[in-house]
Amino acid sequence: MCLAIPMRVAAIEDQMATIESQGLTQRVSLLLVPDARVGDYVLVHAGCAIAVLGEQEATETLDLLREVLAFEDREEAGEFEDHGDS
Amino acid sequence: MGTPEHSKPGGPEEVRRLADALRQVSAGRRLTFMEVCGTHTMAISRYGLRQLLPQGIRLVSGPGCPVCVTAMRDLDTVVALARLPEVTLATFGDLVRVPSSSSTLAAERAQGADVRVVYSPFDAVELAATRPDRQVVFAGIGFETTAPAVAAAILDGARRELTNFSVLSLHKTMPAPLRALLDLGETAIDGFILPGHVSVITGSLAFDFLAREYGVGGVVAGFEPADVLAALVRLAAQREPAVAIEYTRAVRPEGNTLAREVMSQVFEPSDAEWRGLGTIPGSGLVLAPAFRQFAAEERFSVDPGPSREPRGCRCGEVLRGLIDPPVCGLFGKRCTPEQPIGACMVSSEGACAAYYRYRDIGE
Amino acid sequence: MSTDERILIGHGSGGKLYRDLVGDVFVAAFSNPVLDRLDDAAELASPGARLAFTTDAHVVQPLEFPGGDIGTLAVAGTVNDLATAAARPLALAAAFIIEEGFPLPALRRLCASMGRTASSVGVPIVTGDTKVVQRGLADGVYITTTGVGEIVVAHRLGADTVRPGDLVLLTGSIGDHAAAVLAARGEFHLALDIESDCAPLWHLVAVALAAAGEDLRFLRDPTRGGLTTVLAELAESSGLGIEVEEAAIPISAPVQALCDLLGYDPLVLANEGKMVMVVGPESAAAVLAALRAHPLGRRAAIVGELTEAHPRRVALRTAFGTRRVLDMPIGELLPRIC
Repeated sequence: MCLAIPMRVAAIEDQMATIESQGLTQRVSLLLVPDARVGDYVLVHAGCAIAVLGEQEATETLDLLREVLAFEDREEAGEFEDHGDS
Repeated sequence: MGTPEHSKPGGPEEVRRLADALRQVSAGRRLTFMEVCGTHTMAISRYGLRQLLPQGIRLVSGPGCPVCVTAMRDLDTVVALARLPEVTLATFGDLVRVPSSSSTLAAERAQGADVRVVYSPFDAVELAATRPDRQVVFAGIGFETTAPAVAAAILDGARRELTNFSVLSLHKTMPAPLRALLDLGETAIDGFILPGHVSVITGSLAFDFLAREYGVGGVVAGFEPADVLAALVRLAAQREPAVAIEYTRAVRPEGNTLAREVMSQVFEPSDAEWRGLGTIPGSGLVLAPAFRQFAAEERFSVDPGPSREPRGCRCGEVLRGLIDPPVCGLFGKRCTPEQPIGACMVSSEGACAAYYRYRDIGE
Repeated sequence: MSTDERILIGHGSGGKLYRDLVGDVFVAAFSNPVLDRLDDAAELASPGARLAFTTDAHVVQPLEFPGGDIGTLAVAGTVNDLATAAARPLALAAAFIIEEGFPLPALRRLCASMGRTASSVGVPIVTGDTKVVQRGLADGVYITTTGVGEIVVAHRLGADTVRPGDLVLLTGSIGDHAAAVLAARGEFHLALDIESDCAPLWHLVAVALAAAGEDLRFLRDPTRGGLTTVLAELAESSGLGIEVEEAAIPISAPVQALCDLLGYDPLVLANEGKMVMVVGPESAAAVLAALRAHPLGRRAAIVGELTEAHPRRVALRTAFGTRRVLDMPIGELLPRIC
């Protein structure tokens, strides 16, 4: 529901972090993610960091495509019921 | 270090592959998916994602725009507070042009009300600290993404022992309206695109009930085109309803426990009136007893008067995913972004605004 | 004058104090043979056939920002308006409304900016006026500049002369000015590594005119309302459609980051040193090369095309191959949280 963008933690003092992204620098509260470290990327919303970002599972798309292919096999085998009108 | 790997997943090539995958996996079936996050509505329209969907897949917008679901009576209260001469009304930009029964904050400002746009609730606290002669009232809208930040700001205000800072909490929580929607049983929804940033806080587990109790699946999606399409592929491919996370870089099943603790320290659940859905028990947030001194509705007694829904406005049905915006008789005619009648049009996240602004070009 | 000195109501009252101010501040910054005479009206040598004439009022907070100040804006804005008519700036007039208590050193700085900016395109500030208003009014200072220019081309530019197939060029990155001023205003407590692009563009336009001749059909500077407003108005006036390629629009990373954070659309942000040009396809490559060879046009790009399809509407093609409509922005620029 909300605009939040990833920004990198450049410095931490007390519970405030200086964060930056592409030439934009801001200070936000780390109250909600006290474990954030310098160098981490955090998701920033309304003056707070709300999450430390991890890796997007890079294999996501590959997994998906595999799921799709597996789906097709199941479909061919007649396993799939028609869902009817929506 | 440059652009982080996880900041922009999926360029045009991957988006194309995902669109193909979606076509394959949906195999011509007619499916209706609901996105319940205003920011998803915006992203879908801004990137023209509907143009990439196979024929049978329909996307409807749900009650996920915090401005759009704010009841008229609450909007009237915000305006009434802004009119008090001692009050500086601090608000997110999103509220400034929303029509209440008879006015908008922009119109009130032109009449002399002290309305200030802030980006963060901490700015409102700062404002109060630097202007002891003013009563700063912060209009708190937003779901679980925003409420913890507002809670943190209130804690800051408490620490600084401010007596001129208060909050009108119009915050609402997300799982409840989905229950209400499904209980109404009006549209057959085949799956939900679940809110990416609300889920950062609540975790995906908060939405498990959709599959368990209602047999409807959901995927928590990020906001890039590749995120949304990947979520749709997973939804279409689900053999059994389940709740899964596409937005793995930001969302965990358990969410941000600490953020929820901060939230429940400062707020407690209450009943709340949702535009288009009526009163949903336990779906709102009000200040907990320990922080009641910051409750604007107790500090000031304002009578917003009787509230009035504009005639012909079908925002409620749009919010429930019953009609697409163009079906409303006011859409594009009497109700436009320039002269909005309902909140769905004035809010940049509102389904109607998204439809109107980003409408496809006829060929 | 000492650094403590400030504008007094008396400075606007037309007497000795006023004369001293004019001499010490304005003439000192703008000196030229016409201005130095201090007549009430400046005599201009008649340049001949076609004149362009324009005026602009300038209000900005803060008065000084990275990349410029209200003085730079006041001169560049009017020079650029003249340039959109393919007019070489001949003379400027400047009227100041100054708030009582305004520090003189600041006024000198602004005038120095104006003088420098004007000299860079060889246009004299030949006459002016000053009024002083009570403390609390005028936000420090408001400046209105009026300019006259000589149209240097024989053909007429205008929205009604553009044709399907014409190309839309943009002379550089969008949103720099708005972003720099927003950050400088301090409302959102952020720092941004970007400067206003505020600059007078007469020379840049001149090289484009030299490269294109009659093929340069339309010029507009995307100030308030940004690129979208210029294109929406062009589509409306010309009766044609415009196709824009989103990926082709140059935008600096800090500006994009600010827009992502606050929910702004970079296409509607104000620019003060950019031009939109519509050029016939045969000359587009030459114009592009000429622009890129100039310091103010290094990031020039072809961003769109005029078309017979969807008349009066502007369509944006995203990087994903999908399309959406660009509509005129509605009034006030508001940040979003949700």
